[in-house]
Amino acid sequence: MAATRTASRACEIFTTLEYGPAPESHACALAWLDTQDRHLGHYVNGQWLKPEHRSSVPCQDPITGENLASCLQAQSEDVAAAVEAARASLENWSTQPGAIRAQHLTRLAKVIQKHQRLLWTLESLVTGRAVREVRDRDVPLAQQLLQYHAVQAHTQEEALAGWEPMGVIGLILSPTFPFLDMMWRICPALAVGCTVVVLVPPASPTPLLLAQLAGELGPFPGILNVISGPASLGPVLAAQPGVQKVAFCGAIEEGRALRRTLAGWVPELGLALGAESLLLLTEVADVDSAVEGIVDAAWSDRSPGGLRLLIQEAVWDETMRRLQERMGRLRCGHGLDGAVDMGARGAAARDLAQRYVSEAQSQGAQVFQAGSEPSDSPFFPPTLVSDLPPASPCTQAEVPWPLVVASPFRTAKEALAVANGTPRGGSASVWSERLGQALELAYGLQVGTVWINAHGLRDPAVPMGGCKESGSSWHGGQDGLYEYLRPSGTPAWIPYLSKTLNYDAFGLALPSTLPAGPETGPAPPYGLFVGGRFQAPGARSSRPIRDSQGSLQGYVAEGGAKDIRGAVEAAHQAAPGWMSQSPAARAALLWALAAALQRREPNLVSRLERHGVELKVAKAEVELSVKRLRAWGARVQAQGCALQVAELRGPVLRLREPLGVLAIVCPDEWPLLAFVSLLAPALAHGNTVVLVPSGACPIPALEVCQEMATLLPAGLVNVVTGDRDHLTRCLALHQDIQALWYFGSAQIRPQA
Amino acid sequence: ESISKQATEIWISKIQVNKPAVLRRAEQIQARRPVKKEWQAAWLLKAVTCIDLTTLSGDDTASNIQRLCYKAKYPIREDLLKALNMHDKGITTAAVCVYPARVCDAVRALKAAGCDIPVASVATGFPAAQTHLKTRLEEIRLAVEDGATEIDVVINRTLVLTGQWKALYDEIRQFRKACGEAHLKTILATGELGSLTNVYKASMIAMMAGSDFIKTSTGKETVNATFPVAIVMLRAIRDFFWKTGNKVGFKPAGGIRSAKDSLVWLSLIKEELGDEWMKPELFRIGASTLLADIERQIYHHVTGRYAAYHDLPMS
Repeated sequence: MAATRTASRACEIFTTLEYGPAPESHACALAWLDTQDRHLGHYVNGQWLKPEHRSSVPCQDPITGENLASCLQAQSEDVAAAVEAARASLENWSTQPGAIRAQHLTRLAKVIQKHQRLLWTLESLVTGRAVREVRDRDVPLAQQLLQYHAVQAHTQEEALAGWEPMGVIGLILSPTFPFLDMMWRICPALAVGCTVVVLVPPASPTPLLLAQLAGELGPFPGILNVISGPASLGPVLAAQPGVQKVAFCGAIEEGRALRRTLAGWVPELGLALGAESLLLLTEVADVDSAVEGIVDAAWSDRSPGGLRLLIQEAVWDETMRRLQERMGRLRCGHGLDGAVDMGARGAAARDLAQRYVSEAQSQGAQVFQAGSEPSDSPFFPPTLVSDLPPASPCTQAEVPWPLVVASPFRTAKEALAVANGTPRGGSASVWSERLGQALELAYGLQVGTVWINAHGLRDPAVPMGGCKESGSSWHGGQDGLYEYLRPSGTPAWIPYLSKTLNYDAFGLALPSTLPAGPETGPAPPYGLFVGGRFQAPGARSSRPIRDSQGSLQGYVAEGGAKDIRGAVEAAHQAAPGWMSQSPAARAALLWALAAALQRREPNLVSRLERHGVELKVAKAEVELSVKRLRAWGARVQAQGCALQVAELRGPVLRLREPLGVLAIVCPDEWPLLAFVSLLAPALAHGNTVVLVPSGACPIPALEVCQEMATLLPAGLVNVVTGDRDHLTRCLALHQDIQALWYFGSAQIRPQA
Repeated sequence: ESISKQATEIWISKIQVNKPAVLRRAEQIQARRPVKKEWQAAWLLKAVTCIDLTTLSGDDTASNIQRLCYKAKYPIREDLLKALNMHDKGITTAAVCVYPARVCDAVRALKAAGCDIPVASVATGFPAAQTHLKTRLEEIRLAVEDGATEIDVVINRTLVLTGQWKALYDEIRQFRKACGEAHLKTILATGELGSLTNVYKASMIAMMAGSDFIKTSTGKETVNATFPVAIVMLRAIRDFFWKTGNKVGFKPAGGIRSAKDSLVWLSLIKEELGDEWMKPELFRIGASTLLADIERQIYHHVTGRYAAYHDLPMS
């Protein structure tokens, strides 16, 4: 019997040839929610934690608005319980042989493989992202991450000898970031022996499911704990005793606030901020493929952010035509539909995009959207914004999902100027069929990651990170492991409670100093060492330096804001030259400095002795300083680029670039050794330096400066003496200083 | 209609094709547009109407050509079409495709079957094109005389591999002339062109010289219709359309055996060129065994069961 099952619409479809629905069944996701009675708590120590008297938020389908479950909001006690569980299991987990940890991670990868449908339907259901992106990319990548890091754990004892796990890691996830971002961070942390507490935004069940899968594996339940709650719990998590590091990924503003709050606290902070990306399209590119790259970057539910698009003028018209044609074929719809390119991201994301579009329009921009959505629709169509002048306020703001903001450029030089003219430095891609040009642009872009003729490729073995405001933490590859390691035997860090520190007043006043009598013995070198020579301080005043008995040793110049400004300028002038020196040349200079230090040894020893250091100790300090310079000189050669081949189609080039101009504020202890030990690595890596020497005993540093005056290029090292707090404040106000290393009375927020 | 010869160099000189990026796109396209249920049935029927039902074997005789022609006329069992309410829509394959010596047999069989399905003939020293131009041109003329209304010519790969684009253009122009009223389908034999850039250039030259279709391969090379190659050819077709306003058709051939493949091909056309290309005038699939699998799938859609080998008529 050829029974007809269908009241056939085939005839109609035969003519229109439209796409039909291709829904993925999400029955198993709902069934899993049912096992929790549609009421999700936190997953701590291998168990569900559902404390009473907590508020809860609904977890909704972002498209239909249907209530899927209610999620408890954590309070401080819950955070404390999670951290306690992580602390309790740290001892056991971190002392396991790497092979055992490797096995555990491999088992988790297998479990994910077995339950991948549950994982992908749940993630797509609650986030609204296109299911094919979760299914074909996120879930396989999550497994690969676990497998890659299992291998790292297995070889840890040999490969990472001399390093130990930091301890309990707190991870704070922002709402727009998918569960994969959690995997990028927990995998290396767990692999090296840390235990983790993850604070996920309210109503994000996927991380909880992962924690449950990991917890049910057995012997190590407390290594991964997931609590959900508002971002305001971040500082609470960081303040828990035992938390050694906080990793945060989210918006730039939130990250900055967190940094301010956590300054001086125990945990180290790793930030990965912002989600905007950049695509640079030259006239010698495969334009059609570049258009696909744009789709991958902005309209495939891959990235949480938008895209800045720079197009060379010669191919502007052609690109726009192709792009608009392609946009017409993108499909928005229910995330669980397998034939959909873009799902919905909820009202907040849609409103953000709408605000940006309206503002851009009011500033004269052209906005192209393929098809239109009614205003009450949960979807936001792919949007292309152009003709937005660089000076308009909109251009400065981060481009939100799912927008592409296109602007033209004429030459490669101009492209770099435009591309680098933003405080953000996440990722970018360059499209050019000329290898030389592509590499030149890639080197010139100030971002953490550059793809050439591709966008958004990821591999567990390849480190990803950012620079400038996009944060400085890395994940993936070897670099990702070091984020959760510290050298064995690092002493515990004593926190300075910054609550008592008044940032507004810190180092504001410059104490006035009066003459304190005549100098005894030989006068120390006098002046600020700026631009390769000793200069008189702008304030035209001096501060007395006393030895340990309190008798006057000499006067040093009193530096101020003007002097710091001059020093930073000099350092910037010297930076390009030093950066482009070959490693061998840098090494030679450091060794020459070491030799000079050795020649001056008697002089330096006597200076240290007069400061009250024992002869033997003083001699050792000078010797060690010489050794440090030599050691860093030798290491210059080893720094550089490493070539790795990953699973991606093509090689990966990992470059270490100098940061630029560094500011270093030395501690009071070990006046010479600290000075040299901080200076040497900064120089070795190609940075130029503005340095504030030990406040109590700056004279040995100034002695070294006399040698540097003849040896080093002018401006490479600048030493400013004076009131340390005041000088630190002045340094912190220079946003063109790429890092500020501060050792001293109070931790102050560095400019990143 | 003919495009100035100077254009040949200009239109193909600036082209850039990035192979890894094209390979990525080819991977993506296979997973991004599933077609299910009634949509699947309708799309499969559309695929049937785009098939050039082909036999190109040394042992072809009048009898199996006749069988092929009848299958072309009745590609799907009548009751299945009725169930889909498609029995009166004239669903046949787009053409039958045979060697030049079998054109007469095909024309005769189709006439006996009472239908006007066109007969396509391969020509010009198929599949290697390593014969003299004079005989290649003569082959076209004879096939047209015998009643073929579509001629699938193979290009001379030597000219591509040595970069003689102008000479390639001239040769295809001569094919075009020899075809007269018949449609010219130009086989690029992409498996032997060496690079995707060459595929793009050869596509463009073939279109400029007046081809009605460009076709991926003969089915006799080691690598036949692949998605990366198709993407490059489709982009060339679009570029040509944007430059001249002329729509040129596309025909993948070789290795397309499953119904699922044919759906991916259709969605590829829809994504890269748009709906107007999804019809037999502008899209063909060269295949011999594909039709059997499509019929099986439609049987399953209609009845909910999988057909045994003997349930469906052979070709």
